[in-house]
Amino acid sequence: MNADGLLWMTLALPAACAAACLALRDPGTVLTFVRLAGAAAAAYLGLVACVVFKTGVLSGAGDWLVLDALSAFHALVLSWVFGASSVYAGSYFGAELREGSLNARDIRRFGALWFGAMASMTATLVCGNLGLMWVSMEATTLLTAFLICIHVRPLSLEAMWKYLIVCSVGVAFAFMGTLLVGSAAQRLSLGSMDMLLWSRLRPAAAGLDPATMKLAFIFILVGYGTKAGLAPMHSWLPDAHSQAPAPVSALFSGFMLSAGMYCILRFIPLTEAALGGAGWSLRLLAGMGTLSILVAAVFIAFQQDAKRLLAFSSVEHIGVIALGFGLGGVGTFAALWHTLNHAAAKTLAFHSAGALGQGRGTNSLKAFAGSLRAASPWGQGLFWGLLVLIGVAPFAVFMSELMVLKAAADAGAYWTLALFLLGTGIIFVGVLRHAVDAAWGEPPAMPSAARPEPHPEVPGVTQRLLVWAPLALLLLLGVWLPDWLGTAIARAAEVVGGAR
Amino acid sequence: MNWAACVPMAAGLAAAPLLTSVINRTKAFFAGRQGPPLLQPYYDLAKLLGKGAVYSRTTTWVFRAGPVVGLAGAVGVLALIPAAGLPALAAFPVDWIVFAYVLSLGRFFTVLAALDTGSAFEGMGASREVFFAALAEPALFLALAALAILSRNLSLSGILSGLQPGLWMEKGPALALVVGALFVVLLAENARIPVDDPNTHLELTMIHEGMVLDHCGVDLAFIQYSAGLKLWALSAIIVSLVLPVRAGSPALDSAAFLAGMAGLSVAVGTVESCMARLRLLRVPALLLGACALAALALVLVLR
Amino acid sequence: MNPATNLIDTVTAILLITNLMLLGSGYLTSCIRYAALQGLAVGLLPLLLHAQGSWGRAAALAAAGMILKGVVFPIVLTRILRDINVRREVEPFVGYGTSVMAGVGMLAFSMWLTRRLSLSAVPESALIMPAGFATVLIGLFLIVSRRKAVTQVLGYIVMENGIYAFGTALAGGVPLLVELGVLLDAFVAVFIMSIAIYHISREFDHIDVDQLDRLQG
Repeated sequence: MNADGLLWMTLALPAACAAACLALRDPGTVLTFVRLAGAAAAAYLGLVACVVFKTGVLSGAGDWLVLDALSAFHALVLSWVFGASSVYAGSYFGAELREGSLNARDIRRFGALWFGAMASMTATLVCGNLGLMWVSMEATTLLTAFLICIHVRPLSLEAMWKYLIVCSVGVAFAFMGTLLVGSAAQRLSLGSMDMLLWSRLRPAAAGLDPATMKLAFIFILVGYGTKAGLAPMHSWLPDAHSQAPAPVSALFSGFMLSAGMYCILRFIPLTEAALGGAGWSLRLLAGMGTLSILVAAVFIAFQQDAKRLLAFSSVEHIGVIALGFGLGGVGTFAALWHTLNHAAAKTLAFHSAGALGQGRGTNSLKAFAGSLRAASPWGQGLFWGLLVLIGVAPFAVFMSELMVLKAAADAGAYWTLALFLLGTGIIFVGVLRHAVDAAWGEPPAMPSAARPEPHPEVPGVTQRLLVWAPLALLLLLGVWLPDWLGTAIARAAEVVGGAR
Repeated sequence: MNWAACVPMAAGLAAAPLLTSVINRTKAFFAGRQGPPLLQPYYDLAKLLGKGAVYSRTTTWVFRAGPVVGLAGAVGVLALIPAAGLPALAAFPVDWIVFAYVLSLGRFFTVLAALDTGSAFEGMGASREVFFAALAEPALFLALAALAILSRNLSLSGILSGLQPGLWMEKGPALALVVGALFVVLLAENARIPVDDPNTHLELTMIHEGMVLDHCGVDLAFIQYSAGLKLWALSAIIVSLVLPVRAGSPALDSAAFLAGMAGLSVAVGTVESCMARLRLLRVPALLLGACALAALALVLVLR
Repeated sequence: MNPATNLIDTVTAILLITNLMLLGSGYLTSCIRYAALQGLAVGLLPLLLHAQGSWGRAAALAAAGMILKGVVFPIVLTRILRDINVRREVEPFVGYGTSVMAGVGMLAFSMWLTRRLSLSAVPESALIMPAGFATVLIGLFLIVSRRKAVTQVLGYIVMENGIYAFGTALAGGVPLLVELGVLLDAFVAVFIMSIAIYHISREFDHIDVDQLDRLQG
């Protein structure tokens, strides 16, 4: 198949799956379909990404559809998160379906929106036009809004409303920024059709109007930063993550935040080239990253709710990623790698927390006490997931954070380095305490109407695979980064303009 | 002395009470009544002038000075207003600032006279009058400033007689905004609905009428006459803006001008018939809106 | 100076006056009407600014924008108002008079900003850019300063109008596909928000967003 076909298929496949979900009648079939087709769509996207790693940039439709090293790397992350979460969603919603808290219509709606979200997120990555990239980003907000309140409850409605308003408004600012970039590009005398095409702007970026680009980048940073969950625009994040069903939280945290970051990344080389490479935009990004880490540290220390804890941990990690990009040099590489590591670890943690919470009917950390002793592997998943997330050696998250530290030291940013260590230190201690309590603490006295073990008939293999595969991957990446992946990340870093 | 320059002023002095009359007739028409005769205001003035005045023993000379200074201010203002393409009696650069402040001087003394009585109602009326006037003033200034820039002329006579119909083709939106702002200022300055109800006799809701409760006889005649002059002056500005007719012959121009004045009075009467008085708390919003319109006009003119 | 400039000035004036009216009014039905008027005015812009370029593109864009913002949005919002039986914005966080003043301040700020940046706009529309920018800010202000969820949706629509005006005033213009995508997003967003408001009013018996505060920490 040629590049056009490959790229169109990445969009058409999930879109077709979404339609199919609406057409299927039996909710059980829908869930099986979500599981199989989700894995298949994810695998296809991963394959296309690998094609890019192997052969270079794929572009079609007159450069309106482009998959370069940077977007292919993010596509790989999406592929992992979406595949794992689809498989998990099958069993998670299966349990709710049996319980009767969801009906067939809800399940169909979930399936359609789930694949719709996949399609729009893929579109964010493959659109070579910055305007269409924005359109896809806004579409992810709109499509995922109802995923938060699959169960229509007061709290989930509240979370959905905040998510909808904060993200729509935030992302609207990003469009202002995109328009300003278009305005800054007037001097290049590109045609109307080429005005927002990244592939046209990038080579000519040095000619963009610097003052306008500065303003544009501030808008972009605030706009897409809202979607990425950077402090201080993170207010929607803990609410949405804690109220959404676990597979959706995993997709939010594992990929959607990174997608927001990806959109910012597209503008960094443009801004830097226009401003003569003084690192102005990078400093802004690094500042927001550091702030995010500190804000997350404050909130994590006193967290009582497992999913909110994980949500703030996402704020922290997106902060680490932003800091890495902001530091430049080896930091860019580290940040990209961290994106992958965080996605794998956070997906695992949300899946585990979701399954445990489903079994206990609450997400309170106290209720999770002693979960390591329970039969299901989810307790171990949560425990190890938390350990990985706080950066225990030798898992990959530790390695990439270490690399960010090294980048900070290289850049001579000792204050940043100190704040980074302070934030991660607080988080390390705070989360470790919660993790130990959850693992070995005294389990709360079960009320008499205790629910049975949640997934009696889910094949144990799938469950174990969902827990141990990411852990194995993270351990493997921590001790040995395969050459092809290293090269892929390095190429992606080149697109951002780091790894000079 | 150029006698032509006296014409606008003389016309104003003679015909000002007619405007009130036209407004009243319009309101009567909407209410299905016949209304008072057109010359009623003149009869009223004549009757009041024939009466003596009663002064409260607690008042001082300030109370007596109020109506006199008010009338003097109104006459002074009228001297600056051109009409029908004829320049005003007095015209000098930036005279529109003098215009605004002489207008305020008259109000200042009316307010002082009201406070001098020591009556609670008059004090309340005075306080409201000053509050609203303070809000209307920026609108007036911004609108006149926009006009001055638009016509590149600094005196009221220059601005208003220099207007050409062609300007509406070029700067229509800005002019329309100025007219809108000035119309609101006209309603506020002359205590018309929706800012104040000239017919009300409920003291709690009165503004202008509240202030002059204790005046009678000649003083009241002065007050009513100066209110008419004020209405004439502001109306003349608006009409000169809306109908910059320059037919060439003074007779035609004057006819157009007078017709415009009558039309504007009918418009004021229509507004009074169709709207209720705004709640006092909403009036500032209306006046701020007028300021915003004028500011917008200024922006449109300035770019 | 040509007649088109006058029309563009008129649109600018309508854009800004409706902004101030939105800031100064608490009756939701009137607010919806003002927003619709603003949408219609903004929808005209492509015809006025890019007519000499390509008629078809401008006409398509204007038609889509005006139908969406002038007809569809008001209908959707009016229906939602009827369903949830809310008519007024009660006690906004910032009073109406102060809001209007803030609006004028935001206009001044955007004029200063656009002048400093020397943004390249279509020459006749030098004022549309700051006006659009101010509209975006005012939309944001409406969202943060009012209590009712419906007003927040209106604020979002106003922001969208401002962005649309700003984008249209850009010389050369944004590709049609992008503009249509943006309009589609705006449509879906308003649609989803109204469904959400409906659910919220059913679950909470009110649509005061300041009382949606149970999720914290």
